Amino acid sequence: MIVQKSPYPYWFVMPAAVVFSVLFLAPTLASLWFSLTRWDLFSAQFIGLENYRQFLREPFLIQGLINTVIYAFATSATKSVFGLLLAVLLTSGIWAQGFLRAVIFFPVLVSTIGVGITFSVLMHPTNGVINVALSAIGIPGPGWLTDPALALYSIILVDFWKGLGLATLIYIAGLASISPDYYEAARIDGATRTQMFFRVTVPLVRPATVTVVTLSLIGGLRSFDLIWAMTRGGPGFSSDVLASVIYKQYQAGFYGLSTAGNVILFLLIGLIILPMTAWFNRKEVDL
Amino acid sequence: MTRRQFYTGVISLAVAGVIFILPFVFVLLTAVKTKQDAALLTFSWPVEWHFLDNLTEVLRTRNYMLLLAYFNSTVITVCSVTLLVLFGAMVGYVLQRRPSGWNKVIYAFVLAGLMIPPAVVPTIWILQSVGLFKTLTGMVFIQVAYGLAFSVLLFRSFIATIPRDLDEAAIIDGAKPWQIFFRVILPLLKPVTVTVIVVQSISIFNDFTNPLYYLPGRENVTVQLTLYNFQGQFQTQFNLLFMNILLVTIPPLIVFVFFNRQIVAGMTAGAVKG
Amino acid sequence: MAKVVLENIRKSFGSLDVIKGIDLAVEDGEFCVFVGPSGCGKSTLLRMISGLETSSDGRMLIGDRDVTHAEPSQRGIAMVFQSYALYPHLTVRDNIGFGLSLAGRPKAEIAAKVEKTAETLQLTHLLDRKPKALSGGQRQRVAIGRAIIRDPKVFLFDEPLSNLDAALRSQMRMELTDLHARLGATMIYVTHDQVEAMTMADKIVVLNAGRVEQVGSPMELYNRPASPFVAGFIGSPKMNLYEGAIAAAEGCTTYGIRPEHLSMSTSEGKWKGTIRHIERLGADTVLYLDQPDLMSIVVRVPGDAELALRQEIFVTPVPGKEHRF
Ligand SMILES: Nc1ncnc2c1ncn2[C@@H]1O[C@H](COP(=O)(O)OP(=O)(O)OP(=O)(O)O)[C@@H](O)[C@H]1O
Ligand SMILES: [Mg+2]
Repeated sequence: MIVQKSPYPYWFVMPAAVVFSVLFLAPTLASLWFSLTRWDLFSAQFIGLENYRQFLREPFLIQGLINTVIYAFATSATKSVFGLLLAVLLTSGIWAQGFLRAVIFFPVLVSTIGVGITFSVLMHPTNGVINVALSAIGIPGPGWLTDPALALYSIILVDFWKGLGLATLIYIAGLASISPDYYEAARIDGATRTQMFFRVTVPLVRPATVTVVTLSLIGGLRSFDLIWAMTRGGPGFSSDVLASVIYKQYQAGFYGLSTAGNVILFLLIGLIILPMTAWFNRKEVDL
Repeated sequence: MTRRQFYTGVISLAVAGVIFILPFVFVLLTAVKTKQDAALLTFSWPVEWHFLDNLTEVLRTRNYMLLLAYFNSTVITVCSVTLLVLFGAMVGYVLQRRPSGWNKVIYAFVLAGLMIPPAVVPTIWILQSVGLFKTLTGMVFIQVAYGLAFSVLLFRSFIATIPRDLDEAAIIDGAKPWQIFFRVILPLLKPVTVTVIVVQSISIFNDFTNPLYYLPGRENVTVQLTLYNFQGQFQTQFNLLFMNILLVTIPPLIVFVFFNRQIVAGMTAGAVKG
Repeated sequence: MAKVVLENIRKSFGSLDVIKGIDLAVEDGEFCVFVGPSGCGKSTLLRMISGLETSSDGRMLIGDRDVTHAEPSQRGIAMVFQSYALYPHLTVRDNIGFGLSLAGRPKAEIAAKVEKTAETLQLTHLLDRKPKALSGGQRQRVAIGRAIIRDPKVFLFDEPLSNLDAALRSQMRMELTDLHARLGATMIYVTHDQVEAMTMADKIVVLNAGRVEQVGSPMELYNRPASPFVAGFIGSPKMNLYEGAIAAAEGCTTYGIRPEHLSMSTSEGKWKGTIRHIERLGADTVLYLDQPDLMSIVVRVPGDAELALRQEIFVTPVPGKEHRF
C-alpha cells in the first residue's frame, strides 16, 4: 500500500486542538484530581472524597443541587411547551407575524445581566412596576425575589421570558420542514385542528423538540449569570444553584470544594443528558 | 388574510407588547430620568429629559471605565471570533473531507465541548501557569476554546454541501492543501461564516461568567462586568444604571436589525435534523 | 505530447478489488476512450492516471516518466469533470487562470494566456461572468479552457457530456474531435455511451469488472469482438446472442449476429418469425421477432419496408458476418 500525502492534512486541526486541549480538556481532567484535594492553587493536599462528602452534608449545598434540577426542568418544560404553541401561532399567517417573531426573539440577544437587573427592579416588592400594577387591580403582589419560597421561581420566570424566543424560533424552523402534504392528508381523513396538532405536528416536529429540550436542559443546569444578577443565590441560600455555589466557594478560597462542585455539575449533566439523548435516538422515526 | 387571522394578530401583538416590549420601554424611560424621578421605580413619563446628562455621567464614572470596557469587549470579541471562524472552518473541513478513526474522537470532543461545564478553578490554575490569567489574550483563547464546538458543527455541515470535485479540480490545478482551503473552500463558506460571526459575537459580547472568573481587575473590565459593578455602585442612581443597560443593549439590537436572517440560521441549526 | 503506459495497475478499496491488473498503452496523440458498464471501474482508472487516486500496485508512465508516485499537478495532465467543477466564486477569467495564479505566474502572462485560450473556445464575451450565469455548454467549454491553459501532455475526461441535452451533446462531440485534431494531444475519455466511443475514439478500451476486455479501433471492435461481452456492448441495437442448443448447432458456445446483418424475405430464409414489435426510426426500422427456437430476434431493415404487426417473415444471416465465440 502506497501512502500519499492527503490534501486534508491533520495540521489544520492542530491550532484548534491545542487551544481546546490546554484550556478545556486539561482543566476538565485536572478537576477530577483537584476535587479530591484541599487546594490553594499553590499546593494541593489529597483528602480523598472529603469535598464530596461535605457537599452532601451541608444542607445549603444540597439545596443548590436540588434547585439546579428544578431550574433546569422547569425552564426546559415551559420553553418547549410554550415555544411549540407560539411557533404554531406564528406560522398560522396571523397579522404582523414577522414583527411578532422579532419581538419575542430579541430578549435572547440581550445581555443577561441587563435583563436580570431590569427585572429585579420591576419585581421590587413595594415599588416595583409589577406589584404596583397588581395592586391597582386589587391583587397584593408577592415578594418576588424577597420571599425565599418564591425567589427561585421568579428567576425561572425571567429565564423563561428571555429564552422563549429561541425555543419558538427552533420550533418554527422545525415546523417549516414538515411537508404540507401531511396536513392535507389529515384534512382529507377528517382530522380536527386539535387532532392535527397532536397526531401530526407533535410527532413530526420531534427533532426540534429534541434540540429545544437538550439545549435548555444543558443551559438550565449550567445557569449562573441571571441568578447572580437577580439574587446572588438569596435570600439565604434559597435560590442558589450549583453554578453559584461553585462561584461562592471559589470566592471564599475553597478551591478544592469549588472544583468538586464542578465535577458534580458535570456528572449531573451527563446523568441527565446522556440517557435522554440515547432515549431520543432509540425512538427516532425514519421519515 | 382572514378576519380571524387579523384579530388574532392584533391580540397577540398587544399581549407581546406588554410582556416583551414594556420592559425595554421601562429601561429607556428610566435611563433618561433624573435621579429622584428614577428612584421611584415607576413606569411613568420622565419629569425632565436628562438623556445627555445621564449619558456623559455614566461614561465619566470611574474615570471613563465604560469606554475602556467597550474597548476591551470589542478586542476580545473581534479576536476570538476571527480565530473561531478560522479554526472552526479548518477543523470542520478536515472532519468532513477526511473520514478516519480520528473523527470519532473529534466528535466526542465536540460533544464534550457543547455539554461539559468548564472546570473554572483548574482553568485559572493553567492560565496562571502559562501567564495568561487576567490578560485579554487569555480571555480570547478561553472564548475560542469554549466556542469551538459550535463553530465546528456549523462549518462541518455546510462544507458537506460543497462538492469534492472542486477540491480535486484545484489539486489538478496544482493547489497545495492550504491553497485549496484558503482559495477555494473558505470563499465559498461566506454564508455560514456570517452566521458564525454574528452568533458568536453576540454570545461573547454578552458573556459575563467567563470574564468574571478569568479577567478580574479594573484595567480588564468588560462591558458586562461594568454593568455588574455599577449595580453595586448605583444602588441609588437608577437612572445611570439603566442608561448603562441601555448602552449595553444597543450593540445586539444593531446586529439584530442587520443580521436577523443569519442569526436565525445559526440558532436553529439542528432543529430540522436533530 | 506523451504516451501513457499502465503496467499491471491494481486498485482496491479495503477488501474490494476494483481494478484487477490492467496493462495498457495509449499512444502519443491518440484519442482513447474507456467504455464499460456502470461500476466497472472506468472513473477509478482515470482518477488513478490523474493521480487523484493512488495505485495499490503496478507502474504508470506518462511520456516515459514514471509517475506512479507523482502528485497530480506534477504529471502533466489536465482533467475535465462530469460536474465541470468550476469554482463558483471566481469569474470565468479567474477560473481559467486559477492554475497559473497558483503557480505564481506574472499577472500579464496569465491575462494573455487566458485571452488566447478564451479565443480558441469562443469564450471571450463570457470572461467576466460567474459560472452560475452560464449555460451547460458554456460551462463545459470553460472547463475545457481550464484544462487547455495548463498545456498538458494528456487530457482526461470523465463523462464530460453526460449533463448536456442530445443536440448539444452531438455538437460538443464534434468540437472535442476538432480540438483533438488541433492540439494533437493525448486524450483519455471515459463514457458509458457507446455512440461517443464509436464516433470519437482512435482506440477503444472496453472494461469489464476491473479488467480490460478488449482494446482496438472502433471498427475492429465492431467487426471482430473478442468476446460476447464486447459484442453485446458495441453496436446498436445490440447484437443477437444465443447460447445452448442453437450455439451448439453452429459449432460454438455463443453464437452472435448483428441486427443489421440479417437479410429479410417474405418467402424463404433460415429462420421464420412473427413480428412482435416495430420501431420506426425513419431511415431504418427495427423489428422484434418471436421465433420458436431462438425466442427473440432483433432485425434492422430499411425504413421503407412495408410491414405489419403479427406478420410472418423470414430472416437469414449475411454470410461472413456471423460471430462464433
Ligand atoms: N472511494 C471508494 N471507496 C470504495 N469503493 C469505491 C470508491 N470509489 C469507487 N468505488 C467502487 O469502485 C467501483 C468502480 O467505481 P467507478 O466509479 O470507477 O465506476 P464507473 O465505471 O466510473 O461507473 P459509472 O459509469 O457509474 O461512473 C464501484 O463498485 C464503486 O462502488
Ligand atoms: Mg464514473
